[in-house]
Amino acid sequence: MGRTRPKKLTSKASIPVVREHDIDAIEEEVQNALQQIETGVEKAEESEFHLQAAINASAQGKVNEAHIPTPETVLSSLRYDELYPPIFSQPATYIRFSSTVEDCCGCPYNMTEEDDVFLKIMNEKRDAADRCTEDQFEEVMHFFEETAQTKQPFAAVDNPPVLSFTEIQDAMDAAVEESVKRFAKDVYEHWKSRRTETGNRSLMPSLKFETGQETDDTDPYVCFRRREVRQIRKTRGRDAQSADKLRRLRKELEDARQLVALVRQRELARKEMLAIERQVFLQRSEVKEMKRKLNLKDDDEDLINQKPKKKPTEAPAVQRPVAPQLRMPPKAGTQAAEDLQLLEDVQAEKENEILRDINQNIAKHIKWNEGYVDFTRAPLSPSPERTFQAAFRPAITAQLPTPPSSDSSENMMDTTLDNPSTLSLRDKLAPQTMVMSDDTSRMPSFRRRIGRGGRLFIDRRNLVSRCRVELDPWKADRFKYDQEDSDEELDFERDQFDIHIMQHRAIMMAKARDQAAAAAQAQAQAQRRLQADQTANNPGQTMGSNPGPGAIAPTPET
Amino acid sequence: MGVRDSHGEATATPDPVEKGFATLNTIRIGVKAMVQKDGELRKAEILSIRQRKDGPSFYVHYVDFNKRLDEWIDSTRIDLSHEVEWPQPEKPEKKKAGPGNKAPSKNAQKRARAGSREVSATPDLLTGKNTNIGKAQRPSKAGGKENRDETPANLSVLDSEAISADVTPKPEMEDVDMIGVSFTDTKEEHEQGKMSREEEIERLRTSGSMTQNPTEIHRVRNLNRLQMGKFDIEPWYFSPYPASFSDVDMVYIDEFCLSYFDNKRAFERHRSKCTLVHPPGNEIYRDDRISFFEVDGRRQRTWCRNLCLLSKLFLDHKTLYYDVDPFLFYCMATRDETGCHLVGYFSKEKDSAEGYNLACILTLPQYQRLGYGRLLIAFSYELSKREGKLGSPEKPLSDLGLLSYRQYWRETLVELLIEPGRESMSENELAVLTSMTEKDVHETLVVFNMLRYHKGNWVIVLTDQVVEQHNKRLEKEKIKGSRKIDPARLQWKPPVFTASSRTWNW
Repeated sequence: MGRTRPKKLTSKASIPVVREHDIDAIEEEVQNALQQIETGVEKAEESEFHLQAAINASAQGKVNEAHIPTPETVLSSLRYDELYPPIFSQPATYIRFSSTVEDCCGCPYNMTEEDDVFLKIMNEKRDAADRCTEDQFEEVMHFFEETAQTKQPFAAVDNPPVLSFTEIQDAMDAAVEESVKRFAKDVYEHWKSRRTETGNRSLMPSLKFETGQETDDTDPYVCFRRREVRQIRKTRGRDAQSADKLRRLRKELEDARQLVALVRQRELARKEMLAIERQVFLQRSEVKEMKRKLNLKDDDEDLINQKPKKKPTEAPAVQRPVAPQLRMPPKAGTQAAEDLQLLEDVQAEKENEILRDINQNIAKHIKWNEGYVDFTRAPLSPSPERTFQAAFRPAITAQLPTPPSSDSSENMMDTTLDNPSTLSLRDKLAPQTMVMSDDTSRMPSFRRRIGRGGRLFIDRRNLVSRCRVELDPWKADRFKYDQEDSDEELDFERDQFDIHIMQHRAIMMAKARDQAAAAAQAQAQAQRRLQADQTANNPGQTMGSNPGPGAIAPTPET
Repeated sequence: MGVRDSHGEATATPDPVEKGFATLNTIRIGVKAMVQKDGELRKAEILSIRQRKDGPSFYVHYVDFNKRLDEWIDSTRIDLSHEVEWPQPEKPEKKKAGPGNKAPSKNAQKRARAGSREVSATPDLLTGKNTNIGKAQRPSKAGGKENRDETPANLSVLDSEAISADVTPKPEMEDVDMIGVSFTDTKEEHEQGKMSREEEIERLRTSGSMTQNPTEIHRVRNLNRLQMGKFDIEPWYFSPYPASFSDVDMVYIDEFCLSYFDNKRAFERHRSKCTLVHPPGNEIYRDDRISFFEVDGRRQRTWCRNLCLLSKLFLDHKTLYYDVDPFLFYCMATRDETGCHLVGYFSKEKDSAEGYNLACILTLPQYQRLGYGRLLIAFSYELSKREGKLGSPEKPLSDLGLLSYRQYWRETLVELLIEPGRESMSENELAVLTSMTEKDVHETLVVFNMLRYHKGNWVIVLTDQVVEQHNKRLEKEKIKGSRKIDPARLQWKPPVFTASSRTWNW
C-alpha cells in the first residue's frame, strides 16, 4: 500500500461501477486526501451552523435530518375567495400570452381608505345621478398623478410645488375622458392635500430607479439600473442608418397619429351633423304638428330637407352617387313639383360635366405629352401651343463686342468702368443680332430636352438664317467659306482674362440679359393677348390647330 | 465531508476581544451579546436598535446562523449576566466606548465605507490577526472620505465567516439601514477572488450575472410581513421595495401580477381590477400537477421586476442592481379554478457566457419542502438537454440551494449508475446523459464518497448508503407517485436572440 500518487482521472476514462461490498475499505485515507470540493456557497456562510449540520447529516445518509430552519409561513386570515374569484378555465392547448401587467391591471391608481372618506363626502354633495364612482375617481387621481409625473419628472429631486389646477387643466386634451374632466375640479383639492402630505411625491409607492445622482451607486433601494449593452462597433454608416431608422419610425408614427386624429375629427363632425340633423327633424315635426293643429293642409314636405340651395338632388342621384360627401342616407322622395323645372338644369349640368371631363382629359393629356411633339395626323393632344412656346426660350445672344485692341489697354483704365462710354462703345460694335425687333416671337429660340436614353436634344427655331436670301444651295455652299473668312479677318490678340475685359464682358452680359428678359416678357404678353383674342374669336379652332414640328413651328398668325 | 472546516482554526482562537458587562443603555450597534434563542443562549450581534413605547428592541444576527434567522427581539431576551463583546474600539487604549461616547457619525449614509472600513490589503492582514485589522482600517476611517478608489483589493468575494464575525461594523453606523457586511481577507482567499466594487459592477454590467456584490448585502430586513395568496409569509432578507414599505406591518402581494401594496384597501381595489390569472408568458410545459411558463424579462419587465423584488426577500445573494432584460424566467405554477399559482421559478440568462443554465432559483417559502425545488432543478436540466448543452447553476449557491442541488445530483447520478447491466461509465458519459457539467458530476461523486481509488484504479462505488437512499426514494414514489419532468410534455425550442433583439427587441 505504498503511497503512490493516484492515476490521473480524465473525464473520458471509463470507470467501473461497483458496489461497496465488492471492494475493501482500506484506502479511505487516500480518499480523504482527495481534492477539496468547493461547495459553491459563499465562503462566509459555508460554516454556518445549520448548513454544516445538514451537510453532515446528508453525508451520513440521514437525509431527513438535513434540514435548515426557515421562518415559517402561516395561512392568512384574508378572505382568499373574495380576492381571487374562480375565473380560470384551462384551455386545451398550452397557454400563449403576451399582455403585460399594465394591460391587465386597469387603472393603476388604487384608492385608499383616505380616498374612500373623501369620495363619500364628495358624493354626498352631489345628486344621485351625478355621483362619482370609484373607478372614475381612480381615473381622475391617476390622471393627476400622470400629469404631475410628466410635468415634473424630477419632483423627487428638485421639490417643485404641487401642480396647480390650471396646469392640470392645460394637460387635458381630447384623449382625457369626459368623467375625468367632470370631476377633476372636485377631486383636485383632495389630491393636492395628499400630495402635500407626502412632500409632493407620487401617491403610488414606487421603486427607486437611477436618478443620475452620486448617491445612486450606494443606495440599496435603487434597483433595476439600466445595463449597458455590449458596444456594437460604431461606424458613421451605422450611426446614419439608425438615425435614419429612427427618423422614419418617428415619421410613420406621426403619420399614424395624424391619421387617427383626422379620423376622430371626421367622426366627431359626423356625429355633430347627425345631431343637428336630428334636431332639425324634430323641429320640423313640431312644425308639422303645429300645422296639423292649425288645420293647415299640406304634404310631408316639411319633414325633409328642402333647402333650395341643395340643387343636385334626387333625380340625378340615381346615376351618380354623392361621392365626396359624408355618407348620409340619401334623402328619399323629393317632390315632383321641382323636378319639372329642374330637368333642363339637369341636362345642362350633364353637358357641363361632360365638357369638364373632356377638358380635364385634355389637360391631362397635355401634361403627359409635355415636352414631346405629337406628329400623328390627328393628335390626341390638342395644340400645345402655349406649353410649347413656353418650353422654347428666346436665344438672347449677348454677343460680346470686340474690345479695343490690347495696346490701348492703358487708356482703357479710366474708361472701362464708365458706363456711358462702354455703352457707346457697345453701340458702335454691336452686331446686327443684337437688334431686337418688337416682334420677339421672331427671335431665334431654342429648347433643351432629354430624349430617350438620356440623349440631349437642342431644338432650335426662328433661326436667323444667314441665307435668308433665296440662294441656290449649291451657290450658297460655294460662298460658305468666303463669308467666314471675312468675319475672322479681324483677329485681335487679347488676354482673355484681362481684368478690364472681364469686367466689360460682365457688364455687357447683364445688360443684354435685362434687355432680353424685358423683351421676352413683352413677347409673352403680346402672345397672351393674341391668344385671348383668338380663343374669343373662334373657340372651336383652338383644339384643332396643329402647329406641326416644334423646330419649325411658326408663330400663330392672325 | 466535502466541506473541510479550514477556518476552524481562526474561529477557535480569535485575538483578544474587549469584553465586559453591559447594561441595556450601553448596548449599541455592533455589540455581541448572549441572547436567548429557542431555549438556549447564542451569541448574537446587535445590528439595529429602535425605540418602542415599551422599551428598546434590538435587531440581532446570531453568529453562525444564516441571516434569515435574524430577528427583532425585546430587551428581556438579552442575557446581560454574560459579558458582551464590544465592537472594535476607536483606539486601542480607549478601553470602552461608553454610551456618552458616541462614535463619530460622519456621513453615516455612505455605504461605500462599509467595504473600505474593514481592511486594506496590508501584508499583516494575511496573518488574520483581528487586532491588526482593527488598526489597519483606522487610517482610512479617519479620513472619513469616500475611499472607494483605494479599496479595490479589500473586498473579497470569498470570505471567512470566522473573521468577519470578529470584525464588527464600526459603532458609528447609526443609520442601521446603511450597514454593510464586514468582509475581511484571510490567507487562503486573499489570493483569489479579489474584486473591487467597480469591478464587480462592471462584471454585472457586462456578464448579466444575477449574484450580488457582497457590499450590497443589506443587513436589516426591511419588510415585516407579507401577504400573498393564501399565506402570510415572513420575509428573510432585505429587498428594495419602496422605502415606505418598511413602516407598515403587512405588505400585500398580488399572487398573479405580483404587484405590491402597503395598503389593504388599495390592494383590494387592485384585485377587483386585475385580470391576470397566470404568469404572463407562454406555457411551455404542462402535466397533471404543474405548468411551466416562460417569461421574457424584456417583454414583461414589470412582472419580472415584481418577481425579482419578491424573490430577493428570500435570496440573500440575488442582486437587483441591474435590470431584468437579459433573463428569461421559467415559472412553475400549480393550477386550480382561480388560476395558475406561482410556486417557484428560476431565471436563466438569454446568453450565458459562462455556460450557466440557471441564474437564480427559488421555491416560494409557502411551497417549500414539498419537492418543488427538485422539479425546478430537473426542469432546468431538461431545458439544457433540449439545448444540447451541459449546464451548471450560477454561483454562489445559497445553503438551501446547495442542499437541493446536491440531492438532485446524487439522485440523478445514482439512478443512472444503478441501472442493471451498468458495468462502467465515464464522467463524460454521465455528464452528457444528465446535462450536468463534468465538474459537477465529478464533484458529486467525490462528495458522496463514490469515487474511489482502489488497487491502483479508479472505481465508482455505489455505496450502501446511496443505494439505500435510492431504494427509499423509490418506495416513497410508489406511495406518493413520482414527481418527474416528462420531456414529452415540454413544448419548447431554445429561444434565439440576435444581438439586436437582445438590445432593442427588434
